[in-house]
Amino acid sequence: MAPSRKNNTSERIKPTEKFDIFHDERVRDIFYQLLTALVIGWLFWYLISNTAHNLESRGMNSGFGFLDVAAGFDPGFKLISYTPGIGTYGRIFLIGILNTLYISFMAIIACTALGFVIGVLRLSNNWLVSRVALAYVEIFRNTPLLIQVIFWYVGVFSILPRIKDSLDLSGGAEVVLLNNRGLYTAWPIAGDLLWMTGVALVVALIIVYGFKRWAHKYQDDTGKSIPTFLPSLSLLLLIPGIVFLLTGMPLSWDIPKIEGFNFVGGASLPPTFIALLVALLVYGAAHMAEIVRAGIMSVNDGQNDAALAIGLRPNKVLTLIIIPQAMPAIIPPMISLWLSTVKNSSLAVAIGYSDIVSLFMQTSLNQAGYAIEIVAMTMAFYMVVSLTISWLLNIYNKSVQLEER
Amino acid sequence: MAMIKTKATPPRPAPLSETTVLGWLMKNLFSSVLNTILTLVMLFIIYTTVKGLWVWGIADAVWVAETRRECFSISIDGACWAGVIAWMDNIFYGRYPVDQLWRVNLGLLLLVVWMLPLWLPRVKGKTLIAISLIVFYPFLANHLFLGGENGFFSQIMNAAGIVSLAVIIVNAVVGVSRGQSFSKFMVDSIGHKLISEKSQRNLVLAVLVIAFILSFIWQSRWGLEKVPWTKWGGLFLTLVIAGIGIASALPGGIILALGRRSKLPVIRVLSTAFIEVFRSVPLITVLFMATTMFPLFLPEGFVLNKLTQVIIAVCLFNAAYMAETVRGGLQTIPKGQYEGAHTIGLGYWGTMGLIVMPQALKNMIPNIVGSFISILKDTTLVSIIGLFDILGMLNTIGRDLPWIGLHKEPLLFGAMIFFVLCALMSKYSRHLEAKLSTDHKT
Repeated sequence: MAPSRKNNTSERIKPTEKFDIFHDERVRDIFYQLLTALVIGWLFWYLISNTAHNLESRGMNSGFGFLDVAAGFDPGFKLISYTPGIGTYGRIFLIGILNTLYISFMAIIACTALGFVIGVLRLSNNWLVSRVALAYVEIFRNTPLLIQVIFWYVGVFSILPRIKDSLDLSGGAEVVLLNNRGLYTAWPIAGDLLWMTGVALVVALIIVYGFKRWAHKYQDDTGKSIPTFLPSLSLLLLIPGIVFLLTGMPLSWDIPKIEGFNFVGGASLPPTFIALLVALLVYGAAHMAEIVRAGIMSVNDGQNDAALAIGLRPNKVLTLIIIPQAMPAIIPPMISLWLSTVKNSSLAVAIGYSDIVSLFMQTSLNQAGYAIEIVAMTMAFYMVVSLTISWLLNIYNKSVQLEER
Repeated sequence: MAMIKTKATPPRPAPLSETTVLGWLMKNLFSSVLNTILTLVMLFIIYTTVKGLWVWGIADAVWVAETRRECFSISIDGACWAGVIAWMDNIFYGRYPVDQLWRVNLGLLLLVVWMLPLWLPRVKGKTLIAISLIVFYPFLANHLFLGGENGFFSQIMNAAGIVSLAVIIVNAVVGVSRGQSFSKFMVDSIGHKLISEKSQRNLVLAVLVIAFILSFIWQSRWGLEKVPWTKWGGLFLTLVIAGIGIASALPGGIILALGRRSKLPVIRVLSTAFIEVFRSVPLITVLFMATTMFPLFLPEGFVLNKLTQVIIAVCLFNAAYMAETVRGGLQTIPKGQYEGAHTIGLGYWGTMGLIVMPQALKNMIPNIVGSFISILKDTTLVSIIGLFDILGMLNTIGRDLPWIGLHKEPLLFGAMIFFVLCALMSKYSRHLEAKLSTDHKT
């Protein structure tokens, strides 16, 4: 028996591998890739040759030379100076980028803060509070952002009282005024010695940081906790405040005043800006609330029970135990929410806030042509923003993974 | 004198908070000073909001008026719903000719009838139903909505669509009533039970061919007035664009996600580049690109209409988003599933189609439905580039002479429609998730 079995095995060991061009995996892989590359390559070549032909036959110009040409229109809201007729399309592009980044930044800060509060309220053990938070989240998540943006603009901020009857948000002091031309606020003008107050603030921050570290170490050593919040707050207020008073209050306010038909002085934001900001804030906060809720829910219930069992007060449980553990589940979706806020700010085009899409992709494209260049530049801008944000997210993810062991 | 109770202690009554309304209130609303304050603040907020909305939107509202001026003369502080009511047809159908509206309604009815069997538990052959829906329904819908002359190919597809719809209806009826499939039912009712399997199949085929020929003759006599796409609008147009976007997003997303996870570098790089480019830019820039650059891309003399441009842009954009959702689902599948599939001798497509994808898609149902909801909401962006979808129509009301300046009420009405649609979708997704869940939670 045994020898014959051995014979059999040795026969089987000899592989009769023949190279079969139709059934070899490597050949097939290369063939498929080649085929895909050829199809895509042909598609691109076809589109490009069509485009070149169309541009030629329509007598359209191409190239980036138009960026140095003066643009004839007024961009409206702008953060850098611009004169219609002298400023170039390149500068318009820059204004658009800055406006987009400005409103996105403000909206991101505000919606993260508000969303955090609503997310915590959503999990409140007060039945009424959690229901109201739920209603807020459901209403604003289930309606299109574009309808909300237009509603805030045409339904609220463009039908405010006229300049003469401005709403006074500062309660009679007439330094924060809201009317159908926008929001007008007093704006600080720095005096000569204001830098000393700034230095004092930095010093106060360093002292507070040291104090907190010392208090933490003291608690680690002795087990006794020292209240840090009130002392830190008073330090932060007192040190810069005293310096500010000693240097003779080097700060004056530029207060908006009615002169003719408009306000002069102060700082102002157009109604389109406020409407878009409020819409992004309200919509983003609803999404943020859901992210925070999911993050907190992902923390094991036992953590809450254990923290209560060792005698922490409910608010301490939340800030010391639950939220730190929920952060790894909150931060990645939060960062993608920030990214979509930047992208959503492009809805400005519907109400005419001068962001990059409305200034560059709409007005400039209509006036100057150069469709390919303008579309490519605008998309490239968004891609740069998006790549930067995903890069930050990757760094964060790596740091969390290291901690997890 | 044993110190033992001879009787069991009677159970204590349930705590007050579990039994009485007052107890519940104490526990849930007034358990501490802070909670009481919060409750009172919330009550105040609810009271002012609800009262404001009630007075403005219902109590003081005007429902019947000819112009906005008349609305004001009746009630200066109330909502003017009369404008919305006057434009109701346009909000739903755009400028579609009024005497042809039945075509839109019939098209939607067909869709519902076609999809209904997918939800009936005893109906057989659901995959085939879904495939026939995707293949044939667009042609029938195109014929109904657009009208005009049909080419030979669409005539064939129309006829096939009619036959498959008829088969699906019969299949659903016999499925629900007897738990049978269509072919079994046909053989039972017409043919003899004794003939061979091959002749049974031939019999069913013959019936289908006859039905096809009859419906081909029938549909060739259809003459529907042509309604150009420029007259489409309102919720109808929104649903057309969103429907095509939703129907194409999942297949496109699956292909792109598989491409991104492929081991072939060329395919992987191309898929990744496509996904990342479309995901990093806002939809509105893609729409602007479609309307300004597609005409340049195409050969001279070949003109795509704006609706087609928009639909292509929406499809590309949503496929990229869906790809990431599907990829997230693929990542939840443990390696053992792939290895198990290989062990039983499945190739790449067998592994993906039979083992991996069904589980991945099931895990991702909430996210997939979430993407569908976003697609529906994002469709409103087409109003920016000048299509008269529902938002475009709502904005037009305020520019119509009798209703000039009427913006708030139409927008609120539109928001309510979207809220209902989206809330229904997300509720259904939660139901589906619970139904398909194989977690052994109790």
